[in-house]
Amino acid sequence: MENAEIRVALSDVSEGGKVKVVGFSNVGAGFTRRLQEMGVLPGETVNIVRNASYGPVEIRVKGSNLLIGRGIARKVIVEVIDE
Amino acid sequence: MNRFFTIALAGNANVGKSVIFNQLTGGNQITGNWPGKTVEKAEGFIEQEGIKIRIVDLPGIYSLSTYSEEEIIAREFIAKEKPDLVIDVIDASNLERNLFFLLQLVELEVPVVVALNQYDIVEEQGIEIDDKKLSAFLGLPVVKTIATRNKGLTELFETVKDALLKEEKLTGHILYGKEVEDRIRKMVREIQHEINSIYPARFIAIKLLEKDPAMVSEISSPEILSLAETLSKELEEIHGESVESVIISERYAVASRIAEGVSIRKKEGRVNISDRLDRIFLHRVWGNVILAFLVLFVFFFVFRFGEFFSEKIGELSKIIEPYFVRLPLPPYLRDIIFKGGIEGAISGIAIVLPYIAPFYFILSILEDSGFLARIAFLTDNLMHKLGVHGKAFIPLFESFGCNVPAIMGTRVMERDRDRFIASVLATLVPCSARTVVILGLVAVFLGPLYALLIYAIDFSIIYLVGVLLNKYMKGTPSGLIMEMPRLRKPVLRIILRQTWIRLKEFFTFAMPIIICANIVMELLILTNSIEPLSGFLNPLARFMGLPPLATVALIFGVFRKELTLIMLATFLGTTNFALMLSPQQIFIFGLVSVIYIPCVATIAALVRELGRFKAFLITIGEVVGAFILGGLVNLILTLF
Repeated sequence: MENAEIRVALSDVSEGGKVKVVGFSNVGAGFTRRLQEMGVLPGETVNIVRNASYGPVEIRVKGSNLLIGRGIARKVIVEVIDE
Repeated sequence: MNRFFTIALAGNANVGKSVIFNQLTGGNQITGNWPGKTVEKAEGFIEQEGIKIRIVDLPGIYSLSTYSEEEIIAREFIAKEKPDLVIDVIDASNLERNLFFLLQLVELEVPVVVALNQYDIVEEQGIEIDDKKLSAFLGLPVVKTIATRNKGLTELFETVKDALLKEEKLTGHILYGKEVEDRIRKMVREIQHEINSIYPARFIAIKLLEKDPAMVSEISSPEILSLAETLSKELEEIHGESVESVIISERYAVASRIAEGVSIRKKEGRVNISDRLDRIFLHRVWGNVILAFLVLFVFFFVFRFGEFFSEKIGELSKIIEPYFVRLPLPPYLRDIIFKGGIEGAISGIAIVLPYIAPFYFILSILEDSGFLARIAFLTDNLMHKLGVHGKAFIPLFESFGCNVPAIMGTRVMERDRDRFIASVLATLVPCSARTVVILGLVAVFLGPLYALLIYAIDFSIIYLVGVLLNKYMKGTPSGLIMEMPRLRKPVLRIILRQTWIRLKEFFTFAMPIIICANIVMELLILTNSIEPLSGFLNPLARFMGLPPLATVALIFGVFRKELTLIMLATFLGTTNFALMLSPQQIFIFGLVSVIYIPCVATIAALVRELGRFKAFLITIGEVVGAFILGGLVNLILTLF
């Protein structure tokens, strides 16, 4: 768990990783709201299903898969639990 | 007893509302396995044992905040029209997120019946949901359904009918954590004797605490607004997060408590096949390779199928003709009825149907299986360059069927800029009518490679227009947040139904236009008015190197794009277009047909969705653009 303190953007976590959502930097009120309504909430654990170096990031949260555009994924701040 | 009720189908996107709607009403809603198909509410009626029920299918939404247009439609419908009952359709395999929405519905204090849909998927996952317990938790009736297999729907309907007739109030009640609940109550007390609104006091209280902009602007009392502000601030201080996060978390906490309480894991679920397939379909290399092959396959399949049947059906008019000529009618009447009406109908069926039928069939498979959403994933990057995000791909893809629903479908975009760009691009996508021109004319007479070339030119134009609009329109493309639907085995019954719904449109909407246009054309020929008309268009025709009659055909194409081809056939009395047009002319005619002006139905959709000015701009731009392109290609081909 020594990585637990490292905060990175969701877009930088590699495929198969497990993270905890910390917060949002400057995404815009609408997107922050939508992300949270879809379950991407501070404190929530999220699995990264797919993340190529381009295109959207696919995550698994609250039992279903979610596509998040790279632009937005860059602004979701997470803590890495498991790489 | 004769009573009339209104009920609404609500719930998250892609949970099966439209499938249930179609099953209940025998309606014609287009369904498919991706979020955001239903962007406008659809209505249907059921009449049974003296009660008449109007059912409204609402767009899928995740919350009752005011984030996108569909959510506003749904929220306002429920609050303002006060349906007698709402069926909340829940994806049973995704209980927590779906309950999150249900909790908000309950706050609106409308009577709710819960349809626990897609129950087959939960069973596959080895989970059982205790519907009685769920019903007790919520204080609402719950019915298990598998809409795609028509299971549980009779029971659902009976439950709804009972609820409507009993008139007992089926409004559940959900309590949040103490800190939030206390403040909601404080607000409610104030609101109750201060404000008269279509929304219930508790709903207003929560929305004000959440700082929902639409609600804040609706409330005029400064005391209540400042109370809300104070209480919100307190909550933010206690939790160290924005009040919005606090309330959303609170709701999710309740949702997950209920979900956990009612789910029982029976056995290890089967390995999720969808996830496995996605490893291939969404692979950065293989995914794109598969996509390319798929596109080519669709192209050749539709072309070969269409070519074969088109010829077979075309022979039909030759069989009928001798019988008709013998009828004792004055020659001009015979011409109008036979050449205009009957031949028009036959060529409509012969030229158009063989291409659109297989095309719609494949489109339905892609929709129903969830493969479309995969294509959205693969093309998100490309779409960004065009100024729209991956979600725009889906309306753009629908555009291959028909531009009209595609333009309406751009409502899934959250911003005007994105909608405008997506709509412009949608009008440039070759719809089924244009596919008929490309395949039936260019591919048949010049070979499939030239047809592919037309596609290539058209796609380059789409790319170019997208990149330019993206560069010169204010703002940056907004981001994608979309639920990824599970891949599933397409259900033949639903696919056939879907194909039929679209084909029916062709018979009821397009065929009358085709037949009328053909009769008008025949009248023009009989009254010798074609010559002056084509003389007038002569400069344009010469610019593009086309025979003048071909430009007359292009004019008719404004009504329906297939008409360009059908009109040519009418002029010639045969579908062997090579008799009248040189290969160069066939190519230019095909290209111009594909690109110029969207048809009248599309223009009408543009006016409705974007306003007159933008619709006018798009129309003129595309007409002029297509003619210039036709002229340029003519110049180039003549020079070399």
